[in-house]
Amino acid sequence: MLPYRTRLGSPLAFCLFTFAPAFAFAEAPLHERIDQAIAAAQPDFAHHAAGPASDAEFLRRIYLDLIGTIPTAAESRAFLRDSSPVKRQTLIDRLLASPEHARHLATVLDVMLMERRRDKYVPHAQWLEFLRSSVAANKPWDQLVREILTSDGADSKTRPAAKFYLEREAEPNLLTRDISRLFLGTNLQCCQCHDHPRIDDYKQAHYYGLFAFLNRSSLIVDQKLKMAVLSEKADGEVTFQSVFDPAKVTKSTGPRLPEAPPIKEPAVEKGKEYLTAPAPKARAVPRFSRRALLGPSLARADNEQFKRNIANRLWALMMGRGLVHPLDLDHSANPPSHPELLKLLADDIAARKFDMRGFLRELALSQTYQRSSEQSSLSKEPEAASYTVALLKPLTPEQLAWSLMQATGLTDAEREALGKKANEAALYARLSANKAPFVRTFGNPPGQAQEFDARLDQALFLANGSIVRGWLAPRPGNLIDRLTRLTNTDALAEELYLSVFTRLPSAEERKEAANFLASRSKDRLAALQDMAWALLASAEFRFNH
Amino acid sequence: MNPAPTPKIDPAKTHLLKDYKHGSPLFGCRFDPSGQFVFAGAQDNNIVRWNLDNGKKTLLTGHKSWVRALAFAAKEKLLFTGDYAGRILAWPAGDDAPKPARTIEAHRGWVRALAVSPDGKMLASCGNDHLVKLWSIPNGELIRELAGHACHVYNVAFHPGGTHLISADLKGVVKVWDVAKGEAERELDAKILYKYDSSFLADHGGVRSMVFSPDGSLLACAGITNVSNAFAGVGNPLIVLFDYKSGKQKQLLRPKAPFQGTAWGVIVHPAGFIAGVGGGNGGVLWFWKPDNAQDFFNLKLPNNARDLDLHRDGKRLAVAFFDGAVRTYSMEAPLKGSAAGK
Amino acid sequence: MWCSYACNSAEHGISRRGFFASAAASALSLGSFIRPAFTRELNKQQKRVLMIWLHGGVSQLETWDPKPGTATGGPFQTIATSVPGIHICELLPYTAKIMHHLALVRGLNTAEDDHGKGAYIMHTGRRQEPAMKWPHFGSVCAKLLGDSDNPLPGYIHITPRGNGGVNSQDAAFLGPRYASVALSDGHAPANLDRPAALTQVADQQRHEFRMHANERFLSSRRTAQTEAYTHSYDQAAQLMRRRDLFDISKEPPAVIDRYGRHDFGRHCLMARRLLEGGATFVKVMHTNYDTHHENFDFHIEQLGEFDRPFATLMDDLHDRGLLSSTLVLVLSEFGRTPRINRNFGRDHWSKAWSIALAGCGIKGGSVSGKTNADGTAVTDRQVNGGHLFHTYLSALGFNSKKNFYVEQRPIPIADPKASPIKEVLA
Repeated sequence: MLPYRTRLGSPLAFCLFTFAPAFAFAEAPLHERIDQAIAAAQPDFAHHAAGPASDAEFLRRIYLDLIGTIPTAAESRAFLRDSSPVKRQTLIDRLLASPEHARHLATVLDVMLMERRRDKYVPHAQWLEFLRSSVAANKPWDQLVREILTSDGADSKTRPAAKFYLEREAEPNLLTRDISRLFLGTNLQCCQCHDHPRIDDYKQAHYYGLFAFLNRSSLIVDQKLKMAVLSEKADGEVTFQSVFDPAKVTKSTGPRLPEAPPIKEPAVEKGKEYLTAPAPKARAVPRFSRRALLGPSLARADNEQFKRNIANRLWALMMGRGLVHPLDLDHSANPPSHPELLKLLADDIAARKFDMRGFLRELALSQTYQRSSEQSSLSKEPEAASYTVALLKPLTPEQLAWSLMQATGLTDAEREALGKKANEAALYARLSANKAPFVRTFGNPPGQAQEFDARLDQALFLANGSIVRGWLAPRPGNLIDRLTRLTNTDALAEELYLSVFTRLPSAEERKEAANFLASRSKDRLAALQDMAWALLASAEFRFNH
Repeated sequence: MNPAPTPKIDPAKTHLLKDYKHGSPLFGCRFDPSGQFVFAGAQDNNIVRWNLDNGKKTLLTGHKSWVRALAFAAKEKLLFTGDYAGRILAWPAGDDAPKPARTIEAHRGWVRALAVSPDGKMLASCGNDHLVKLWSIPNGELIRELAGHACHVYNVAFHPGGTHLISADLKGVVKVWDVAKGEAERELDAKILYKYDSSFLADHGGVRSMVFSPDGSLLACAGITNVSNAFAGVGNPLIVLFDYKSGKQKQLLRPKAPFQGTAWGVIVHPAGFIAGVGGGNGGVLWFWKPDNAQDFFNLKLPNNARDLDLHRDGKRLAVAFFDGAVRTYSMEAPLKGSAAGK
Repeated sequence: MWCSYACNSAEHGISRRGFFASAAASALSLGSFIRPAFTRELNKQQKRVLMIWLHGGVSQLETWDPKPGTATGGPFQTIATSVPGIHICELLPYTAKIMHHLALVRGLNTAEDDHGKGAYIMHTGRRQEPAMKWPHFGSVCAKLLGDSDNPLPGYIHITPRGNGGVNSQDAAFLGPRYASVALSDGHAPANLDRPAALTQVADQQRHEFRMHANERFLSSRRTAQTEAYTHSYDQAAQLMRRRDLFDISKEPPAVIDRYGRHDFGRHCLMARRLLEGGATFVKVMHTNYDTHHENFDFHIEQLGEFDRPFATLMDDLHDRGLLSSTLVLVLSEFGRTPRINRNFGRDHWSKAWSIALAGCGIKGGSVSGKTNADGTAVTDRQVNGGHLFHTYLSALGFNSKKNFYVEQRPIPIADPKASPIKEVLA
């Protein structure tokens, strides 16, 4: 442990940062500059900051954040025993390169971009595979966004990417809202009718500039292609009035990103406006497509909002809260908690050509990320935006499902059953259907962002439902099976706590486990199940801490 | 007076004879026993009478609801009509301007059908109160109440022998009653004309029209079957033809060409064929022979047909329509070499 | 042009200072967007809502606004009611006897003939908008009237069939906690029973072990979210203890008979048990009224099923002294066409139709609005779904012009373009 702590910095180092001018170490790696910026934001930072997370705390956290599940008991044992000074970095790199990471980040992006809208036009599996292979290839974020905003769904090779448009029925107001929220971090919805009354930065002209990329497009079920695709007209100008304007002045705009110059549109010869002219039940393709310009105009390194948005969203993913919070209200009256840091992150991700993997790696390496979540005092909840203590993150429905499968040993049993064929894809194929009831019970409603909510139907699902209960039935290789074969209660407690909590039990906990089993010696199997359930249902399991 | 040339009935030659128009959709229709008039119940609560020869239209006004049930007492020259409000009115059918001669508060809920016994002494009624009732035609008094159906009773008919009465309900339960004893003797199964639509949670079907062959050997029950969507009326017309004696289904008469809707009216011709009309997606008149499930002839009708009756001359049919008309059709092949009669 | 007025500004009557003050307050209540003061104001009296949903679109002509003797009237007669001068369709004899509790809104024009969109209007008081989802009235009530200590779901929906469970989208921006929980065919919520193999003692022991583990973890990591999570188990346990509320077999057979031994009868009885047991909002669905074919036969059947249990439920609520604090709504997604089609059916019709209200804050025996002789147009006091929403809120004693606060935005609870129908308010 000691070498590691030394490397990441002692309390003394924290103090030094406090007095150091911001960005004194301009050439330092990003993760160090993150820590400098966080520390610099609060005069007595070191006094408030929690110490580094323990190995066990870090291990569970990094697994959940990078691959969406907890480690196996064996992986935990190995990591905790590992004495390498660079074991955390090694683990981060191993996880980021794993197929599990590609699947996990693809799922995160799916939930973020589609918000669990129901499949109507593009099967979810195809879309997820598009995202998964993109992440696996470390496709830059700007390229991914351009692909999403450019596909019209007509070409089978790029059709999955069109899900973003198609499942929103290509409705231009809905798309304007969601593109502004999800890709620019600015919810322009209020600007549909007038300049935002309280957010000076958000203008009605911004809304309609974005809208003008999309208003000529519509969803059409093309008779020849036998599927829903985007169709686009060659005409249709955008005009708007403010509902607050007594004079009712009508303004107009061409396609245009907020604060960007107008886009020059080519003159098209009259009569030659279409490559495929509009016809009933057939898609129209204009010679000049406004929509085709949206991706290239928006997903650019010189688009300040675009790079701030992705930097902020990935930060929130790892740290539990956006520097700009809420994630889609980036404006001057709602400044980031750490303005310079957000600028630094935004510039960095653009400079690394939107390499998400490299960026996540830097976040994971930071002390800020690797800080403990234990509060020094419970009298006052620490200011979330100060990052003095690592924030608790509720497990997403997917993380909860996968972690329960891992903790109960369902995953181990399946891996064992697959034998040599056990790889990420095969395991995913065997187990992924188990996610559905968790998504149904814990997931956000279609079309709404995921938010934490603890409800009694969820508690009933975990307490009395047949799913978790089924996973606690003994089966070769699973948790209960392993526990039943351990006669030494100490070893049993270790196996249980390592499997469920990714840590070793304290002496007190070992004693409690022994007492519990002793009190239920007549129904030992049920006692083991009940004890395992109690840990699975505890707050320590429900949160990524 | 020279006897008229014997008509040759040929259903395949069926053609429109006359169009009798009323402003409101029509519902049920009957020729009167004299053969002089056709009567129809309308959605404006009137009964409409047309003189078949000159087309003269007379309104019988008195019901406060719709009338589909029409039956005649030939001797008394009375027309009995039953409405949705549970009331039966008796009209002097041949009067210039008929006024209700009698009012019977007969049922709680819709009087769905009426029938007069072959001896002309009894009127049978049935309704939504699950009951069948027998009334004395001479004095209008209730003779007997026949209870036993578990749902709305849709139709009644006397067997030509006069000793038995048949009643049929929404769920296709057909009961055979001994009239003298007032007891149900047996049941016939027309449940194929019923469906509980489990998506709309409602019952649909019922015996919409019911008639015996003149010799009493066959009983025809008309309605809808294969219902896949009760609330859109998606199903097919069907006439269940029973061998009365055995109580077995003899034939299920269906349209040859696909048709969506209900068989609203059926008659059994003395010559042995069966005619039916349907309404739903338009209207059709079909003709079947008892030994063949598919019609041997059909005639497309101008719109939804809702009832059917056979004239005493055996040649003419009356059909009541949604568009407010009663149309008469002739099944008589034009006589060769003659000027087609008159 | 579309505008939700979702972003009320000073021009919409909300001051800048008021907004910031309330936003700050809302930030304190975790996940709660309502200003605490407002919530308290609403909680002063225990009030609840019963909504009867006649699914498919009940005919106004066969219920609340009959037109006998006209071309559009159909075959049915009217009957007198307990309120002189008010006549309703003869298919509702039991309901006619409790007319003095009911108010009729006969001037409804919701201008939406699509089932889904019509249902949306009648549940949310708004028309559908592409980029804005509005919460159901049930969710609004769960939020405004509900008590966080009440283990019963705030918005219970008794359906004749289909899947039970949470319909999280119903609550829109209020959050899934206020979404409807469907009790399919009146079955209790899922997972309410302790697993058969688990004894009560063992269940107790495992929960104790769980709570003990929590104490240790939370001794250094307590947050509002962890509190909510641990609390959800307490709520679950409370609901398990009240399982009987969902079991109508606990009622005497004579009572079950009074309600009728069919789905709707049983579901109305369950609604009574739940409302008595402290439920905030109970919706009972009766299906189906989408009578494109044989409108009259189907209305005889469906209203025959509706009439008595509904009137019985009203009587029971009244007898127990609950009606004056229970707002009752009898709604549908729209009415049916005055024109009778060729299959004796009536089609979708939203231009001139009716609903009934009763109970809390409602003036019994009142009628608002009028249609012309054949029911084809509203001739007096035309209202839409927005007016209804204001009326419901007013009946419950709320200022219907108030806002919800979602993050930084004030959102009018009811459509600012509409107002309450004062004629039917007590």
